[in-house]
Amino acid sequence: MRILRYIGRRILFVIPQLFGIILVSFFLVKLIPGDPAVMMLGPTASAKSLMELRDRMGFTKPLLTQLMHYLHDVVRGDLGTSWQTTQPVTEDLFQRFPATLELISFGLLLAILIGFPLGVAAARLKRGPIRKFADYYGLLAGAMPDFWLALVLIYVFYTTLNWIPAPLGRIDMAVLPPEIITGSMVIDSLIAGDMDALWSSFGHLVLPVLTLGLINAGPILKMTQSTVERTLDSDFVRYADMCGLPRRVVLRQAVRAALPSIITIVSVLYGFLIGGAVLVEIVFSWGGAGQYAVQGVLNADLNPVLGFVVFSAVLSLIIYLLVDLLYFALDPRTRA
Amino acid sequence: MATATAGAAQAAPAPKARGGQRLRFFLAVLRARPAFAVGYAIVSMTVLIGIIAPWIVPYGPLVADPNVYLLPPYAAHILGTDGTGMDIFSRVLFAPRVDLTIAVLGTLLSACIGSSIGAIVGYYEGQRTWRTAIATFVMRSTDVLQAFPVFVFAIALVAVFGQSVRSIILAIAFVNAPIYLRLMRSQVLSIRRMRYVEAAYVAGASDISILVRHIVPNAMAPVLSQLSVNIGWSVLLTAGLSFVGAGVVAPTPEWGSMIAMGFQNVVTGQWWPSVFPGIALGLTVFGFALVGASIEVLADPGRRRILSGSLS
Repeated sequence: MRILRYIGRRILFVIPQLFGIILVSFFLVKLIPGDPAVMMLGPTASAKSLMELRDRMGFTKPLLTQLMHYLHDVVRGDLGTSWQTTQPVTEDLFQRFPATLELISFGLLLAILIGFPLGVAAARLKRGPIRKFADYYGLLAGAMPDFWLALVLIYVFYTTLNWIPAPLGRIDMAVLPPEIITGSMVIDSLIAGDMDALWSSFGHLVLPVLTLGLINAGPILKMTQSTVERTLDSDFVRYADMCGLPRRVVLRQAVRAALPSIITIVSVLYGFLIGGAVLVEIVFSWGGAGQYAVQGVLNADLNPVLGFVVFSAVLSLIIYLLVDLLYFALDPRTRA
Repeated sequence: MATATAGAAQAAPAPKARGGQRLRFFLAVLRARPAFAVGYAIVSMTVLIGIIAPWIVPYGPLVADPNVYLLPPYAAHILGTDGTGMDIFSRVLFAPRVDLTIAVLGTLLSACIGSSIGAIVGYYEGQRTWRTAIATFVMRSTDVLQAFPVFVFAIALVAVFGQSVRSIILAIAFVNAPIYLRLMRSQVLSIRRMRYVEAAYVAGASDISILVRHIVPNAMAPVLSQLSVNIGWSVLLTAGLSFVGAGVVAPTPEWGSMIAMGFQNVVTGQWWPSVFPGIALGLTVFGFALVGASIEVLADPGRRRILSGSLS
């Protein structure tokens, strides 16, 4: 019951925020110079047909009316159409978001697998090579541009070693993609039992996931290290130590107490990567949602940009909600 | 330098003797933590190279020689040439001019705007009803701004202002301002309750002079540390913007756009046009991160005491 009430209150807070986001992005996008009508009809279009198109798309109405129309449509789940793909934006996004989510979910999973154990190890050892490595890894990972690392990885593993397929898209052109169930090509091919598709999609997934994993392990490592260090220094750990509990048991307790803040940094990274993985998406022609939005901005295609912002806001919202529920499960203090 | 400012903020204006002592302490810290020295070295080298670039580069940064396109590193072009025949070494050395100018100006602008709004919000929050209402409104607005996907937001801002160096600076300032706003507000909120602030109030100091002379100088330390780290991020963001074609226009020597220009070459096996600018970019960001970490230690009186205890 407590949890339900909590969720309800959260959603109540979120609605004005969502409204603010739509408001700001609407006016921002409208300020972008470039006339979609000219873009759509080409430079040879007559003034009359341009006027007609602008009229039909509602560009001649006052901005406030346009905003009202847009809000009205958004509430009904209609985000307009993209003139580049000539498809409804909602449909486009539903096609592309799974690609982005597959990428960043696996990427963050890898980042956790690297960052978490390394962080715990570094927190336990005050000096020594592991500690030094962890210190520098954190700084270096934060300093490297992800699109550059992606290029270096492509050079090493595709151009030189030729271990992986060309960095174009999520699956080979010649391979039939599996039936969409979860939206992740790898998992879907696994479900379908299609070995060719699995091998191909896995090969395409490896490098972008490696890029995101290596880079994002940095902040996870730092957060793990500093919180575990702090809990190892706290009274309850000292008490457990004095009671003569084995070191491993004490460490496990300390790590457990540090979990909420680690989950926080993971969720923040997840929210950030929805739009932040766009450079990696571009390098690998991933066809994700971020790439779609960037194309939209660069080509004065406004609806995809707005749609992307709305989608990712709602998505981060869902993630933060899930994280809060995780806190409930992890931290007994929140249940009191 | 940064330590001197941070230190001066806490104490009365220092006489010359104390300045010398502080410099000695600073050098001792660098000896004890060589990584910090590396950071200062990288940052000052990058700045220096940016300044003297026109006199040390072997070729012009925009001179394309079609006879020598895409050559691997060799004696005449020590980092090779790119697809149009421009010398990569010269361009890498020229890039800090663009990248650092954008990053430093953008970050300073965002710090000025963000922290002054943050200080005012923090000072007036919870005092009188209408001021609290404004403060709440400002904080909720920053929530909204921070909920945006940073990269798409930055690209959209550049698109709105038109593609130029000035718009990139503005976009960086806009995207980063909420960080300083929050940082300064939380600092001011805690300092506001200090005894010396109350003393100043009782002595009849005006709100503005309390804020400017007593609160803000003491709240600067985390802002300064954030500033250095943030310059590094901004270099990354600038490069990213140029990489997608929303930043600096193509032939300008800038690390991100150089990496983008070499993109197709990397796939076909010519790694040098992209890899070298990336290394320069990574080193610079790394240097700023180290400097930020050192300021964080030096500006924190508690940690500074521990450090000076272990030094003497």
